[in-house]
Amino acid sequence: MSRAFADDAALFLRAARARAFVRIVGSFREPNGLIADAVFPNLGMCAFVMMYRALGAPAYYEALAVIGGILTTYWVNVLWGMGAQFYWEKQAGQLQLYFAAPCSRMAILCGMAVGGLLASMLRSLVGVALAVFVFHVQLEPFSPWQLFAVFMATMAALYTLGMIMASLFLLYGREAWHTCNAFMEPAFFLSGLYFPIRTLGAFGAVAAAILPLTLGVDALRQVLLGARSPGLMSVRLEFLALCGFAVLYFFVARWSLRYLENLSKQEGRLTQRWQ
Amino acid sequence: MAMTGTFARMRTAAWLGWQVESNWADPVIFFIYMIARPLAVSLTLAAMYAATRSTATEGAAFAGFYVANAFHAYVNTMVVGMGWAVFEEREEFETLKYVYVSPMGLVTYLAGRSFVRFVLGSISALLMLLVGWFALGVRWEWSGVQPVFLAITMVAGLGATLSAGFLLSGVAMVLTRSAMTVLEGTMLGLYLMCGVIFPVDLLPVWLRPLSYALPFTWWYECIRRFLLGRGSSAYMNTLSDAQLLGAMLAVCAAFAVLSWLVYRAMDRLARTLGRLDQTTMF
Repeated sequence: MSRAFADDAALFLRAARARAFVRIVGSFREPNGLIADAVFPNLGMCAFVMMYRALGAPAYYEALAVIGGILTTYWVNVLWGMGAQFYWEKQAGQLQLYFAAPCSRMAILCGMAVGGLLASMLRSLVGVALAVFVFHVQLEPFSPWQLFAVFMATMAALYTLGMIMASLFLLYGREAWHTCNAFMEPAFFLSGLYFPIRTLGAFGAVAAAILPLTLGVDALRQVLLGARSPGLMSVRLEFLALCGFAVLYFFVARWSLRYLENLSKQEGRLTQRWQ
Repeated sequence: MAMTGTFARMRTAAWLGWQVESNWADPVIFFIYMIARPLAVSLTLAAMYAATRSTATEGAAFAGFYVANAFHAYVNTMVVGMGWAVFEEREEFETLKYVYVSPMGLVTYLAGRSFVRFVLGSISALLMLLVGWFALGVRWEWSGVQPVFLAITMVAGLGATLSAGFLLSGVAMVLTRSAMTVLEGTMLGLYLMCGVIFPVDLLPVWLRPLSYALPFTWWYECIRRFLLGRGSSAYMNTLSDAQLLGAMLAVCAAFAVLSWLVYRAMDRLARTLGRLDQTTMF
């Protein structure tokens, strides 16, 4: 029994590592994707920073928008590199290979998440460079360990949410594609990427209960901007909530993947293109 | 007779475009999908303004940014949408070659598709203006509106939008899978370079000539001036109404000619390179 479990775990890790490797190498082999993920989210961020400047707002708001803008790189990757990945695979006729492989589909999704996260971390350096050299963002002294913990909890919650989205593409085609598309700007608004989430009042708290990006942005701002950025909750509570989101979403993704795979097989839509 | 035939073909293309855009969902879901993005952008801008209202020194400028952002919906839907039409037809549906050789021709087809995008853009812009007027207090004095100048501005701006759509369609014909990146980048790049939500005076000096060469920079400034009564750019504020309108018309006309030449050149290049039926995405 324990031997079988060890074999399964080893296979899971090997499959995840292989998928992560493909994701990292593939993303750097495609310069267009590199530019798209590294530069484009920052163009929007620059526009929002300029708007604060045009309104004559204090510099704190620019710092706030820059931190939110950097996180858009990850959200874009979660939506299009994670959520929509099975759509690309289906259109390319490769999705069936995942199902023919003897490993768990969750291993593939975990590998995609880890690979996507590592690639996005390097890409987000463009946003960091803009923050330091162009916008001269002033940060408060902070604990790097606290920053690391909050960041990783945010990413875990975001990428497990991406795993749930990915499972939708097993059954749906264009519907899920358009859903991903529609999640872009609404998520920017609901997560307060470019403004303090407290501006939304009680609505902001509701958004935080739905979208982990909201809590992640808020916690990271509290860590980096200190007292200038009063949050919805304390950093400790937001960290715990993000960890809770990650665990919850992981199990929902696992269930969703299994359920939608079966449904998709029954309806014969697993490998159907142009739906 | 020839014109009647062209319009009939355009109408068919518009109908097909509508089906492609909307038949993945029932009308209610499609409507929610269609308004979700522009509404979210409007609310984001409003929240940014609300957050800074007590401390901002130039809060009055917000109305100009908001209105320009509403009209930027045309650029997002028409310009980028026409490029996407070429990309989708070739890469995803693999039908571009059939459209190209059909008696309808690609130009008529794209013009028809652009009409659907125009309608969608109009709904987005109108919705944003209504939200601004009734929910956010972004209003203007009707007595201060200059209707003739504004009407000319709208016609010229929409013409420039159509021209830019053909330009991007031509580029999308030549590029392979990278067209997707270019289209998305253009959308975000124009948002920054045209000073939709800030005066272009805030751009670095070396970027400003590029901004002034784009028709949308002038279009948004004219809309602010002729609808709200005040522009946002210090440089453009030195121009009289007639000078501003004249400059916009000149830039739009030059851009339209350039776009058409680029489209024709890209069309030839795409045929030479064999790109019309080359799928590289899926």
